[in-house]
Amino acid sequence: MIELQAAVSGALNGSLFALMALGLSLAWGFLKVINLAHFAMILLAAYLTFELATSTGLSPIATIVVTAPLMFLIGALIQLGYERFDVSELNSLLISYGLLIITVQVVTNIWTADFQRLPSEINPYSAESVGIGSLRFPVPTLLAAGFAVVLVVAAALVLDRTYAGRALQAFGQDREIASAFGIDHRLLGVLLAGAAGTSAAIAGMLFPIGGTLTPDLPFEWIGQVFAIVILGGIGNVAGTLYAGLLVGAISGLVAVVWTPSTAPFVVFSLVVLALVFRPKGLFPQKGG
Amino acid sequence: MRHKGWLALAGIAVALVALPAIRHAADFPMFYLIFLSGILFWTAQSTSWNILSGYSGYFSFGQGAFFGVGVYTMAVLFGRQGMTWWVAAAARGIASMLLGLAIGTIAFRLRSLRGEIFALLTLAIPFILASVARLSKSIDGGQGIVIPVPEAPSFLSQFQEFVFVLSGVVALFALAVAYGMQHTRYGWALFTIRDDEDVAEGLGVPTFFHKMIAIGVTGLIAGVSGAVFALQLGFVSVEGTFNLDVPLFVIVMSVLGGRGHWAGPAVGAIYVYTLQNRLASGGFEGWSLIVLGVILVLVMLLAPQGLMAGFRRRPWLSAGVFVVIFLGLWLFGVTSDPVTSLAVALGVTAVIAFIPGGRKRLAEVDADAGRPSVHHAPVGDEPVAESVGSGRRLLVARDVVKTFGGVRALRGVSMTVHEGELVGLVGPNGSGKTTLVNVLSGSLPPTSGAISLNETAIVGSKPHRIAHLGIARTYQIPRPFTSLTVRDNVAIAIMFGREPLGLDASRRAAVEYLDLVGLGGRADALPGEINLHQRQLLEMARAIATRPSLLLLDEALAGLNPVEIDNAVEVVQRIRRSGVSIVLVEHVLRVVNQLATRIVVLDQGAELAEGEPAVVMRDPAVVKAYLGRQADAAGE
Amino acid sequence: MLQVNDLDVFYGDAQALWRVSITVGSGEVVSIVGPNGAGKSTLVNSIIGILRPRQGRIVLDDQDLTDVPGHKVCRAGIAIVPEGRRLFPAMSVEGNLDLGAFNRAARGHQAQSLDWVHTLFPRLAERKDQLAGSLSGGEQQMLAVGRALMARPRVLLMDEPSLGLAPVVVDEVFDVIEAVRGEGVGVLLVEQNVQRALDVSSRAYLLAEGRVVMEGDATEMASNPELRKSVLGI
Repeated sequence: MIELQAAVSGALNGSLFALMALGLSLAWGFLKVINLAHFAMILLAAYLTFELATSTGLSPIATIVVTAPLMFLIGALIQLGYERFDVSELNSLLISYGLLIITVQVVTNIWTADFQRLPSEINPYSAESVGIGSLRFPVPTLLAAGFAVVLVVAAALVLDRTYAGRALQAFGQDREIASAFGIDHRLLGVLLAGAAGTSAAIAGMLFPIGGTLTPDLPFEWIGQVFAIVILGGIGNVAGTLYAGLLVGAISGLVAVVWTPSTAPFVVFSLVVLALVFRPKGLFPQKGG
Repeated sequence: MRHKGWLALAGIAVALVALPAIRHAADFPMFYLIFLSGILFWTAQSTSWNILSGYSGYFSFGQGAFFGVGVYTMAVLFGRQGMTWWVAAAARGIASMLLGLAIGTIAFRLRSLRGEIFALLTLAIPFILASVARLSKSIDGGQGIVIPVPEAPSFLSQFQEFVFVLSGVVALFALAVAYGMQHTRYGWALFTIRDDEDVAEGLGVPTFFHKMIAIGVTGLIAGVSGAVFALQLGFVSVEGTFNLDVPLFVIVMSVLGGRGHWAGPAVGAIYVYTLQNRLASGGFEGWSLIVLGVILVLVMLLAPQGLMAGFRRRPWLSAGVFVVIFLGLWLFGVTSDPVTSLAVALGVTAVIAFIPGGRKRLAEVDADAGRPSVHHAPVGDEPVAESVGSGRRLLVARDVVKTFGGVRALRGVSMTVHEGELVGLVGPNGSGKTTLVNVLSGSLPPTSGAISLNETAIVGSKPHRIAHLGIARTYQIPRPFTSLTVRDNVAIAIMFGREPLGLDASRRAAVEYLDLVGLGGRADALPGEINLHQRQLLEMARAIATRPSLLLLDEALAGLNPVEIDNAVEVVQRIRRSGVSIVLVEHVLRVVNQLATRIVVLDQGAELAEGEPAVVMRDPAVVKAYLGRQADAAGE
Repeated sequence: MLQVNDLDVFYGDAQALWRVSITVGSGEVVSIVGPNGAGKSTLVNSIIGILRPRQGRIVLDDQDLTDVPGHKVCRAGIAIVPEGRRLFPAMSVEGNLDLGAFNRAARGHQAQSLDWVHTLFPRLAERKDQLAGSLSGGEQQMLAVGRALMARPRVLLMDEPSLGLAPVVVDEVFDVIEAVRGEGVGVLLVEQNVQRALDVSSRAYLLAEGRVVMEGDATEMASNPELRKSVLGI
C-alpha cells in the first residue's frame, strides 16, 4: 500500500512539474528557443507570491492577479529580445542561462538565501490533507495537480479549438507556408511567450503554498522538467502531462522501494533510453 | 608562429617557478601568490572546458561533474591509510577522465544527440552524481576528510608556494594541451566538427574518436586541477560535489575570453577572477553572479567572438595600454593595491578589444608557405586518362531501395560506374538523384540493396570509412567549414584523407588542389568572403583532396551564370584528366551532354534509360518524362 | 492583373533571376516552363513574399507588393499552392482549409469560401476530418489548391502541381486549373510537364538559367522546336 501511496503522490507532484514543463516545451517546439529563463520566471513568481502574501495578508492564490500579467510581460519581452537578435537555438540556451543566474542572485540579494516559509495564518492549505480511499494527500499537492490539469486542458483547447491556436500549430509545422497564408509569426511568438510566462506565474504561485523557498530551487527543477519535456515530446501538450505523471510516479515509487537519491538516476536513464529509441517522445501525437 | 607559442609558455613556466623566490626577495605579501594560484586554477578549468565545448561545439554545463566526481574519488581514497596526495591526485584525474569517456560513449553515439540536447543532458549530470554521492554520506562522515599534505621541494619553504607551483604546472599543462591541439590535427578535427560535423565525417574525419579524445582530456585536466584545489582547501567533503559555481565560471570565462583560441579561456579567467576578487573586497559579493550573468548575456549577443579576437586585431595597442595603465596606477600609488590597478587596466583594455575595426583577420599561416606559381598541373603521377578508362568496374550498386516514411524515393536502382567514366545522372524533379548520391556516399543508409566499391561492400559503413575507401562528394549548396580559410578547408581533407599528411605538409599540399580549380589566389580568404561560384570550386577542391577514386558531384552548377558554368565545366574536365571517375548530377542538360561519357536517366526513383547522351535524350520515354506526353508527336 | 517587372533575385550572393518580367491577367492561365534549376520556384517564392527581390517591382492591380512583408502579401490577393503541397500534416482537411482563410481579407468570408471549395472538390467535403498527411497524392493536391482558394486570391500561384502524381490524377489536377480559371482567378502555373501546361494556358514564358528566353502564345510555343531544344539540352 505504501507503494501505491508513493506512486500516486508522486504522480500528483509530477503534475506540478508538468505544469512547469508546459511553457518551456511549447516555446521550444514552436519558437525554437530553449528558454532557461522560464525557471527564472517561476522562481521570481514564487518569491513575489510569498512577498505579496506576507505583506498584504492576502491569500497566496489571490496574488496571481499581480504575478500573471507581470510574467506575461516579461516572457513577451524576452521573446522580443530573441527575435531582435536573431538568436539560434543553442545560443538561446546560453543566454537564458545567464538570465537565470542573474535572477537567482537578485532573489538571493533581496530575500536572502535562508529558507522562507509562508506563515500558516496566510497559508491555510499547508497543514491540511484530504483522504481519498485509503490514501492521503496534502492539500497543496492536490491544488498543484488541479491547476496543472486545468492549464494543460486549457492549452490543448486553445491550440486545437481556437483559430489563433491552430495558426500557431500551423506555424510550428511549416513556418514559411504559414507565413505565406498570413500568419504573423512574430506576433504569435510573442503571445506564446507571454502565455508561457503566465503559466510560470501559476507554477510559481504553487511553491510557497506547498513548502519552503530557497533561491537555489531552479537547479533542482531543471533535470526533472527537461526529462518531462523530452519524454513527453517537445511541443506536445498532452504528452507533457502524461510524462509528468509518469516521471512523478516513478520517482515516488523509486524513493520508497529504493532510496530517494536513486530517483534522479532512474529518470535520467529513462531519458537516455527514450532518446535512443523514441526521440520524438513516449506519447507521439497523431500525424507526427 | 609555431615556436612563438611554445616560447611564450616556456617563459611563463620560468616566471612561475621564479616567482616564489622573487617574492622572498622583494617581500611581497603571500596574498598575491594566492591570488595568482586562483587564476591558475581557473585557467586550468576553463581551458579544459574549452577543449570540449569551445573547440568542438559540444556545449557542456557539466564541468561541475568532473569536479564533483574528483572530490568524491579523493574522499573515498583518503578513507584508506597510506594514500599519498600524489596517488590520489592521479586517481582523481583518471576518474574524471573515465567519467568523460563514459558520457561520451553514450552521448556521442546517438544521432539525435547534437548540440542542444547534449547541453541539456550535461545540466542533469551533476545532480545525478550529487544524489549518488549523498547515498554514501558515510564515506566522509559529513564533516569532510583532511588531506595529508605531501612533501614540498626544499626551495619552496612555504606551503602556499608549493600549491602555487603545482597550480602553475597544471595550468601550463592545460594551456600546452590546448595550444598543441589547436596546432595539430586533433584540434582541427574538433573545429570541423564544430563547423559541420556531417561534412567532416564525409571527408574522412573520425568524429566519434576525436570527440572522445576531447572529452577525455577535459576530464583529465579538470580532475587533476581539482586535486590541487583540494590541497589548497586542506580537506574534501562530499558536499563539495554539488558545486554550482564551477560550470558557470568556466562558461563565462571562455565566452568572455574567446572560445576559438587556446589562450582565450586563460584571458577570461584573469578577467573574471580579478573582477570577483575586487567585488568581494569591496563588499559586493551579492553582485558578482549578477555581473557574470550580464557579461554572459551581453557578450553572447554583441561580441560572441570574445576578447581574444579583439586583442588580435590590435595586439600592440592592447598590450601597450594594459602595461601603461597597470604600471602607471600601481607605481604612482593612484590605487590602493596592484589588484585594483590590474582590474582597471583590464577594463580599459577590454573596451579597446570590443571596439570594431582594427587589423583585418590575421592569417593563420605564414605567407611564404611554399606556394608554387599558378599552373594547371594534373594531380598525382597518373598519365592523362583516356576517355574510356581501364574499363574496370569501380562502383556497383544493385537494387538500391530507399523509403522515407511512406515515400519510395528510390525503387530498386542499379548502376555501375567504370573507372575513367564521367556518368551524368539526370532526371526530372523528384526523380531521386540527390537521394541516390546520399546513399552512395554513405550519408544515408539504403533501405535495401547492395553497393560496393572495388569489390568491397560499403552499405552500413560509416561515412568516414567510405571516404577512406575512395568515394568523395560535393553538396548542392556548398558547405565549407566557415571558420577555416580556403586553404585550410582543403588541408583538412588531406589531413584526414586516404593518404594523410601532417598539418604543415597538408597546408602546402592544399595549394596544388586549389590551383587545379583556380582558387590559388584566394587561399587565405574565409569562405564567407568568396562568392558562390568560388565556394563551389572549393567544394570540388576539398573533395578531390581526399584523393578519391570516385567523385560524386551534386548539382555543382546550381545558381551560376553562363561564364561561370563554362569555367566549372573546364574544372570538371581537369579533374577527370587527373584520374578521378565522376558521377555528375545535373540539371543543366547541355553541360551534361557535353561532359558525360554515359548518361543515366532516373524518373520517379527508378532507372528510365541509360547510354550515350545523344541517344538517350532522344529516347521517347525520356522525352516524355521531361516534356510530357504528346511532345514527341509535336516538334520534330 | 499581376505585373512582375525586371526582377533580380539572389540567394545570398548567388543570382537566381535576371531581369524577369511576366504578367498574368484575371481569368488567364499563364505557364512558366523550363528546365529544372531555371528559377521557376524562385520566381513564385518571390511573388508570394517568401523571398525578397533585390531589384524590380511586383505589382498587383496598382498595389506595389515588392516591399510588403511576407505575411501581408496574402492579404493583398495572392495565394500559393506550393511545390510538394506542403500541407499542415497533423491537421485535418477542414483545419487546413480554415487556415487558408487566415488573412484578414478572407477571414470574414470563410463560410462562403468553404462552400465554394466543397463544390469544386466534393471529396474534400467527404474527408473533412481526415488528417491531411494521410490523404493520397491527388487528394493532397486538391486540398492544397482548396486551401489557397480559401484565401480568396485574385491570382493563384501553382508550383509544380503534377509533381509525383500518376497520369490519371494529373488529368484531374488540370481539370481543376480549368475550373479555377473559369471562376475569374488568374493562374500562374509553374510546370515541369511542358505539354500539359501549354495545353491549359493561353500564354507562356520559357525560363532558362534564370532568364526569360521565350514568351508568347502557348499554342505557338508548343510547336516551336527551340522550346524542346532548350529543355532537353540538345
